Amino acid sequence: MSTLATLLRQRLRRDRLQLALWIVGTALLAYTSVAAVADTYGDESERNQILQVATASRTILVFRGTPNGTDLGAFVFFELFAWLALMGGLMSTFLVTRHTRAEEEQSRAEFIAATPAGRVKPTVATLVHGVLANLVLGALVALAFIAGGLDAEGSWVTGAAMAATGIAFVAIGLFAAQLFRTSRGANGAGVAAVVGAYLLRGIGDAAGTPSDDLLHVTPAWPSWLSPIGWGQATGAYVENSLAPLALSLGVSAVLVAIVFALQAVRDQGASLLPGRNGRASASWALSGSFGLAWRLNVSTLIAWAVGAAVAGITASSLSGLIDELAGDAPQVVDTLQAALGGGATLEQAFIATFFGIIGVLAACCAVQVAIRARQEEAHGTAEQVLATPVPRTRWLLEYWFVGVIVIVVVLAAAWLAGLAGTAASDTPDDLVSLITQAALAQLPVSLVFLGVTLLVFAYLPRWTIVLAWVLLGVAAILGTFGPLLGAPDWMLDLSPFTHSPVPAGDDTDWSGGLWMIGIGLATAALAVVSMRRRELAAGG
Amino acid sequence: MTTVISASGLQKRFGRTVALDGLDLEVTAGEVHGFLGPNGAGKSTTIRILLGLARASGGTATLFGQDPWKHAGELHRRVAYVPGDVSLWPNLTGGEAIDLLARLRGGTRDKGDYTARKQRLLDAFQFDPRKKGRAYSKGNRQKVALIAAFATPAELYVLDEPTSGLDPLMEQVFNREIARVSAEGATVLLSSHILSEVEELCDRVSIIRSGKTVESGTLAELRHLTRTEIAFATDGIEPTALAAEIDGIPDAHDLIIDHGRVSFTVDSDRVASVLPDLARLDVRGLTVSPPSLEELFLRHYGDELTARAAEPMEGARA
Ligand SMILES: Nc1ncnc2c1ncn2[C@@H]1O[C@H](COP(=O)(O)OP(=O)(O)OP(=O)(O)O)[C@@H](O)[C@H]1O
Ligand SMILES: [Mg+2]
Repeated sequence: MSTLATLLRQRLRRDRLQLALWIVGTALLAYTSVAAVADTYGDESERNQILQVATASRTILVFRGTPNGTDLGAFVFFELFAWLALMGGLMSTFLVTRHTRAEEEQSRAEFIAATPAGRVKPTVATLVHGVLANLVLGALVALAFIAGGLDAEGSWVTGAAMAATGIAFVAIGLFAAQLFRTSRGANGAGVAAVVGAYLLRGIGDAAGTPSDDLLHVTPAWPSWLSPIGWGQATGAYVENSLAPLALSLGVSAVLVAIVFALQAVRDQGASLLPGRNGRASASWALSGSFGLAWRLNVSTLIAWAVGAAVAGITASSLSGLIDELAGDAPQVVDTLQAALGGGATLEQAFIATFFGIIGVLAACCAVQVAIRARQEEAHGTAEQVLATPVPRTRWLLEYWFVGVIVIVVVLAAAWLAGLAGTAASDTPDDLVSLITQAALAQLPVSLVFLGVTLLVFAYLPRWTIVLAWVLLGVAAILGTFGPLLGAPDWMLDLSPFTHSPVPAGDDTDWSGGLWMIGIGLATAALAVVSMRRRELAAGG
Repeated sequence: MTTVISASGLQKRFGRTVALDGLDLEVTAGEVHGFLGPNGAGKSTTIRILLGLARASGGTATLFGQDPWKHAGELHRRVAYVPGDVSLWPNLTGGEAIDLLARLRGGTRDKGDYTARKQRLLDAFQFDPRKKGRAYSKGNRQKVALIAAFATPAELYVLDEPTSGLDPLMEQVFNREIARVSAEGATVLLSSHILSEVEELCDRVSIIRSGKTVESGTLAELRHLTRTEIAFATDGIEPTALAAEIDGIPDAHDLIIDHGRVSFTVDSDRVASVLPDLARLDVRGLTVSPPSLEELFLRHYGDELTARAAEPMEGARA
């Protein structure tokens, strides 16, 4: 028992800052979003209209949830729950991998397994740690909603749904850690499970059956395959039913039982899916340091490009639907346009919003490339490359170059998928030029994040990973949620995303983009040149 | 003779830690130079500076007469390096990593030659190149770096504890490779903790401690620095009388009389001077043990231990 307590304490201690940031950040996002939603849609008739728009257009439901009446609490739950559950899910799977497979892979777990703690107790400790983290997260989200002025019972049901969903992802993460040999594999599977759960319920919600007044949607069966869907099924603030959460907990219990059964029979360090053998010698593609940088990033690139393509096709097919909607319910379109703001057409606003998200994806991908350089350095593999005739400056320049290619490929994937989706539109030509502009408009901001991350790497190598994600996260939240949250202009202006050109046909203002390209190139150049004076900084 | 590696007064600080504190190192062309010292003495740090991966805080270091920090790229064309702690890319197989490192070093231009060398090494080291990075054991990771280093010709091999993790059979293969590259005229800097390896392979050694060079020279020269042990049977001679006799010999040190045997030590270059006295005593069962390197190393490593043990006490007094 005391060894378990020791292991648990070690986990809490190691994660205290990271988890605190994640949990408090999610709760703060919940709190500010409630205030913003209550502010923007304070009027019941406004909520009525926007719900009808959402239900009629369907695709919006993919990114929201199932409408459940015009009550403010139910409306907030509809808008936010899937997002918050997504964050909780990512927190949970990363947490689990960090303390299980990653430890095993580094053979640190072997030290522990050789003590009286044994092989199984670390897994128990990780389970308890993950459950605790999710209980705290659920409670804080509930308190944030109550503080935002929502009904207490519904808020606690929301909190319970958050916790139950997160616990399901803890179980899924533990299972993935048994399956895969590397932490990359386990993390990849964990993220795929969370994003898959999000999309499954998105598809189920969008394919659901609307009520006659368009204010309720009963989700279709795919939503019932997703832990996030089970959380939504509580119907917080209206039905307040905890029964669907039994599904989450039941599935978690089964998975955890399987995990312990596997753990009991497998060797330390082994995995259920054996590592596959590969080529005995390198192909021509791995001909030098650039080939290596490319190879190390290509799998990440594919994942992000697929995501961007999905977002791109959603954006343009959605725009096609708006045309249909304009015939059926013109007043709804007016409302929507007013909500999206400005004199832009509805199509322009939709495309801009969606490609804004694609811009965040491209920036994430670019940041990951730059972070890979740091991981190579910390892991010791960069040392071996730099002990060959490859100069440090060229080595970093190649990472920058891979970053640029990655940005272009992600945006091109979104652009091509977007073009494929224009088939449904009445005016494909306008849409094609709009989508082309929108895709181009995301290039500068991604270059800025690539350059800035490389600069951090050159000057504060040990801070690269943390600082890069924090900067990107804050900027993305300000850029995408900031206007909705009513943040002041000076604050919005701090985020590079605010300065991305907004596609508006011939009226598009590209000046912000040109500035950002300049900044992106300047930071990258400074970073590369600084490598001349920089020693290798080992991990830690 | 040309100097390949030259360092003098080399200093390196990491924040408040002083890793190198005026280190000197001289390696001439064609020699196999052993680089020894206790854990944390600064061997890996010195090697990193010599490869231009870290920058010295003071003193000078040159490789082939050039500053390794400024001319890293050119110098690395002539150098093959095996790091102390080999990490591999998780998504590359061992074979891919070997090819990649050899290509980066520019050693694959003659493709047929490279393939033949590599295949010979893969066989000699009994290495399976198809597994992915993380699936290799420590010894097998070490083999990747060794095969990559020996598969391409180099003028200087810098090896940081290259045999850690290798089994004795593989150590033999390693020794043969060192002998081969040395015969081809290459220079080798070999950091090691394994005395038999150093004795077998190295022409000269430098011993460092706490970032300073404490000994440097050929093995024969270093042997001279140690004392030879002389022992014989007491054979009925009365111990106190015997002790008085031996105390009278100016070169004798460390006298022990125990279990019917007398032993004492003599500086190795003074052995001949005590022989007349021994003859006079008409000793029986005489043994003269040549100094072992082990003793030499333990003396340097051991002082370190004593110094470390003394630290907390000084702290307590202060
Ligand atoms: N990046 C670093 N930051 C801080 N201290 C360091 C760093 N690298 C080395 N040191 C310190 O410098 C000293 C020398 O380390 P080094 O790795 O050179 O020793 P070594 O002789 O190679 O030891 P070993 O035989 O254990 O490999 C140690 O005290 C170590 O803690
Ligand atoms: Mg070392």
